[in-house]
Amino acid sequence: MTTPVLEVIGLSRFFGGLPAVRDISICVAAGERRLLLGPNGAGKTTFFNLIAGDFPPSQGEIRIFGQNVTGKSADQRTQLGMARTYQIITLFPKNTLLHNVVVSLVGLRRLRFDPWSDLRRQTVLWDEARATLALVGLDHLAERTVMETSYGERRRLEIAMALAQKPKLLLLDEPLAGLSADERQDVQRLLQSIPRDVTIVMIEHDMDVALAFADVITVMQHGQVVVEGSRADVVADPKTREVYLGH
Amino acid sequence: MRAPAFNWVMWLVGLAVLLVLPWLVTSEYYVNIASQIVIAAILALSLNLLIGFGGMISLGHAAYLGVAAYLTIYLTAHAGFGQLSGAFIAISSTTVLAMLFGYLSLRASGLGFLMITLALGQILWGVAYRWASLTGGDNGLGGMERPHPFGLDLNQPTIFYYFVLFFLGVALLCIARFIQSALGQSLQGTRDQPRRMRTLGYNVWLIQWLSFVFAGFWGAVAGLLYAYYHQFVSPQALHLTTSAEALLMVIAGGTGTLFGPVVGAALVVILKNVISAYITRWLILLGAIFVAIVLFMPEGLLPGLAAWMRLLRERFHGGKKPTSVSAVTKDRVL
Repeated sequence: MTTPVLEVIGLSRFFGGLPAVRDISICVAAGERRLLLGPNGAGKTTFFNLIAGDFPPSQGEIRIFGQNVTGKSADQRTQLGMARTYQIITLFPKNTLLHNVVVSLVGLRRLRFDPWSDLRRQTVLWDEARATLALVGLDHLAERTVMETSYGERRRLEIAMALAQKPKLLLLDEPLAGLSADERQDVQRLLQSIPRDVTIVMIEHDMDVALAFADVITVMQHGQVVVEGSRADVVADPKTREVYLGH
Repeated sequence: MRAPAFNWVMWLVGLAVLLVLPWLVTSEYYVNIASQIVIAAILALSLNLLIGFGGMISLGHAAYLGVAAYLTIYLTAHAGFGQLSGAFIAISSTTVLAMLFGYLSLRASGLGFLMITLALGQILWGVAYRWASLTGGDNGLGGMERPHPFGLDLNQPTIFYYFVLFFLGVALLCIARFIQSALGQSLQGTRDQPRRMRTLGYNVWLIQWLSFVFAGFWGAVAGLLYAYYHQFVSPQALHLTTSAEALLMVIAGGTGTLFGPVVGAALVVILKNVISAYITRWLILLGAIFVAIVLFMPEGLLPGLAAWMRLLRERFHGGKKPTSVSAVTKDRVL
């Protein structure tokens, strides 16, 4: 068996005495589409933040591409080929969409330490950014500032910024949250067009979309994994129903 | 971005005014004031790198001015160093100090950062004040001659003015390049969205530290010129009021703009030197002006004036709906 893209072993995180994530172990294979399900407060986003390196775990180990990254910072993990989107959008509102994507592109290049060359003249980067925006259907808005775009467009920009880095592991935190039915379809198509050499771990509440998309589903509750398995297994499992419907 | 022609006009007018200034003003006294403005402007520009572009509010920026000034005078007038080697050692040592102070201050952000910079600055002030055998204590350190680079007589006020103006030009050029560079843009990214920048692969701490050292370097250059100008330095150069004055220049002129600090420096230095000759309580006037700026031009003098001018132009050209002042973000100015 090849090395898993993401391997989490016995991961816990306490806030004060409160466990947000308790002893989670998962293993995501290359090219897999993994869905994290669970009610609000189940610890999904905390789990994501731990994988991304926003804060260190209290216990446990995280491996990306076979490498132990538990002690590594968020930017070091990104340099290894991981990208993520946020549930609460964090973009650069006063800058153009193009600029946002360029910032994302520069993040993985040596150029980011260049204090002299004019970034506006790096035409190769701007062309690449434009191409990435075209990928998510935003090229016609490239020159607009983020403030002048709609919520759905910002969601797509979030994804564009992650895709621009050509990640091997992509973490999507509720990419469909707050979108209209039409926008959902756009984003859904976009997600389906991501090539299979990218491994995706996604948190999503929209069951229809999520179930259609996922290969393996992990259901979380109270910071723990309750059920894990293929789509059919998880849907059939009585514990899933219990998590969502109660007794 | 919206009005590049307007920006160029401002550039050129500003440059022209600075170049012909010695002919505009009649007495040597005012030429010397102009030199003081230019030196203060370099200090304010360097502080603006932290405040305006990095979102790091420092109350200890006098450290670099003062240490570089003390070192310059001590080395050249009391330790037997030549002018060139003295200047070189003063600036490089002060930059090394900025590396250390940056390392210490950047352990915190926001208010914590401000308090650490303040504390470090006060330590230096205490050292300068108390270590009298080295620094002359309250009496300060003097006895310095101005250098004669390339045979220029810097004792001539006009020549000295052009000498410091040259450094301001270089500082403006380097800082203008920096803020449009990948590193400068990253710094502005860390100011707005540090968490996102980390996720995008940026080492936020390193970016802030490099910028801190860069700012310290230009603070040191201002200190060198300060030493040349006054040929004397006292603990006042390291005092909190000097740091606060620099902060005032940046905020009054316009944080995060290229030329704002220059305008702010002019305002503060003119009030301090010229107006104080007529009004004893000039600090009250400075305070009132500062309050007025904060009330009517919260983004600072330069962005405020630019926004007002844009409004006026739009009125004159008619047809177009005038945008409100607040809608004009500082990114579009300069």
